[in-house]
Amino acid sequence: MKVLLADDAEVVRLLIGRFVESLGHELILACDGIEAVERCMAEKPDMVLMDMLMPRLDGPEAGRQIKTRMGARWVPIVLITAVEEVSKLADAMEIGADDYLLKPVNFRILEAKIKAIQRTVELNRKVHEQANKLAGYYDRAEEEKRVARHLMEQLVNRERLSDPQLHSWIAPAESLSGDLIAAARTPGQVLHLMLADGIGHGLTAALNVLPLTQPFYAMTERGFALADILVEMHRKVRQVLPVGRFVALAFVAVDFAKRSIEVWNGGIPELRLYDGRGGLQKRWASRHLPLGILSADALELETERFQFSQRANLVLCSDGLLEARNEAGEAFGTARLALACAGQPAAEALTRTVEALADFLAGTHCHDDVSLAIVDLDPDATLPLPEPANPGELPEIAGEARWRYAISLGVVELKSLHTVPLIMGFISQIKPLAHAHADIFLILTELFVNALDHGLLGLSSDLKCDADGMEHYLQERAKRLAALREGRIDIELAGHDLGGRTMLRVRVSDSGAGFDWSWLEAPDTHRPSGRGIALVAALCASLRFFGNGNAVEACYLTRQIP
Amino acid sequence: MTAIVEIDGQTGRLLLSGQFDFSAHRDFRQACDEILASAAVREVLVDFQQVDYLDSSALGMLLLLKEKAAAAGKALALVNCRDTVRQVLEIACFGKIFTIR
Repeated sequence: MKVLLADDAEVVRLLIGRFVESLGHELILACDGIEAVERCMAEKPDMVLMDMLMPRLDGPEAGRQIKTRMGARWVPIVLITAVEEVSKLADAMEIGADDYLLKPVNFRILEAKIKAIQRTVELNRKVHEQANKLAGYYDRAEEEKRVARHLMEQLVNRERLSDPQLHSWIAPAESLSGDLIAAARTPGQVLHLMLADGIGHGLTAALNVLPLTQPFYAMTERGFALADILVEMHRKVRQVLPVGRFVALAFVAVDFAKRSIEVWNGGIPELRLYDGRGGLQKRWASRHLPLGILSADALELETERFQFSQRANLVLCSDGLLEARNEAGEAFGTARLALACAGQPAAEALTRTVEALADFLAGTHCHDDVSLAIVDLDPDATLPLPEPANPGELPEIAGEARWRYAISLGVVELKSLHTVPLIMGFISQIKPLAHAHADIFLILTELFVNALDHGLLGLSSDLKCDADGMEHYLQERAKRLAALREGRIDIELAGHDLGGRTMLRVRVSDSGAGFDWSWLEAPDTHRPSGRGIALVAALCASLRFFGNGNAVEACYLTRQIP
Repeated sequence: MTAIVEIDGQTGRLLLSGQFDFSAHRDFRQACDEILASAAVREVLVDFQQVDYLDSSALGMLLLLKEKAAAAGKALALVNCRDTVRQVLEIACFGKIFTIR
């Protein structure tokens, strides 16, 4: 230890100083109070031994100054005093001194005091070190959180949530949310929405949900279906997260054109559908385990479909909302949610729910992340399809195609490949077609589905007619596809330059029996089926069937870019 | 939360009480290790009789216990789940991978 000894008597400095040095400590000397304060500042001793009475500045006052000027650093001060100064001594101890020694100094006691102080000094130093370490940890954690929050926001890409039919809200329990809401439209304008809830909260929870965003956005953009995206997300979560970590997830696909909802719910509280008058029309309870628990091939993909005909609100929320507790320990619960949002326009429903929660909590902090998404299921909300690019005369195609893309699929490939997203992956690389993805997706989907469903599988569109039609149709389709033994579909795309515009020619042919395409010449608008083909015809500059109807060619002209 | 281990012949019972959430991490792990280390135990019962709340971190801990119990060759069941606990287990569809009694 470094010990400062302040005394105006040289004999005392010599006597006590020698003794202190003999105990193995480093000694610094001062002759009065002012010098004691100065040397203290310069040398930063571990303890101070100081006479009560000194010229210029006495011991108690010097001690007070040392304490003030050393700030957070604790320097124990021991005053050396005669017994009669007892009341001054008490005052001194009150303003800064830590202990005292009676004159004449007993060396046995002095040694014991120095040892006791040394113990305290060491303890004090340890506490300081730990406090510094903690402060360091804290700063580092804050910085990591800041970076993580930025990364999260970039990866989650909030502006993509700006869908006219979607209203959503997230309130993290800590600075980072383990809840995630993501929404995007497929090229066919189907709204994909997911609400994910990673285990726990804060950074680790946020990290849990991160692997979901990339497959969700990338695959939705290319037109993959809900189930295919789920499989990929599950694979990613399994790959990235350790055992005991998982992500509860609800995935919704809303096709406004077909007025259908498809839902997969793994571990999220019931999704609820409230009609315009506030009635509860349908509930989708959790049917599946959250993502990341089962092995990759054990994931159940079964979804539930619903046809909507009137305007309604589809409400999704994380358990953080329903379980938010007020001071009295009550949970917010579904009744309060329904009261706030049922029967309201979607935007209003969201605002009212957020307000209702704030009122309910009355300043109490939420213990879990809260997220809420409301989809405005408006039957009229079908985004208008783009006007046909050029319904007029089809210009002569002169010369070779600039590029050609051909794919020929046998039975095995037809069962396993996601053909249209696969081709869209290629189309997305062709610059002149950048603005036409939605049109091309629709044309490819309709022509491919036509070739497979009607050409090879021999399905009749009449199946779709009744209320559960789509369900029956899809079941029958899956059955026949599984049983398919032979067949082939050829697809060829070619891009031509036409005076600054691009002409895309799509040919699809199948090995099926074909169909009577003569009615297409005069389409019957009341006919429930064939709408898809009529739509393709409207989008394209030309659409022609050949032979017995198992070969088709569509010519699509991109819009003039202004 | 407290976790008490009771071993009765081949059955090891993990009596939990209070709020089962992340703060229970250490106690729960210690109790699990104790019960799994007992060679006599063939079946582990996690008893929720005294649990009034569990969150997703608790579900994660149960998954870890399931993994460890399987590795130790011991059966595992969740018992005496009351309403709120049952509800959380139901939403997570844990009935598909756990025996719940």
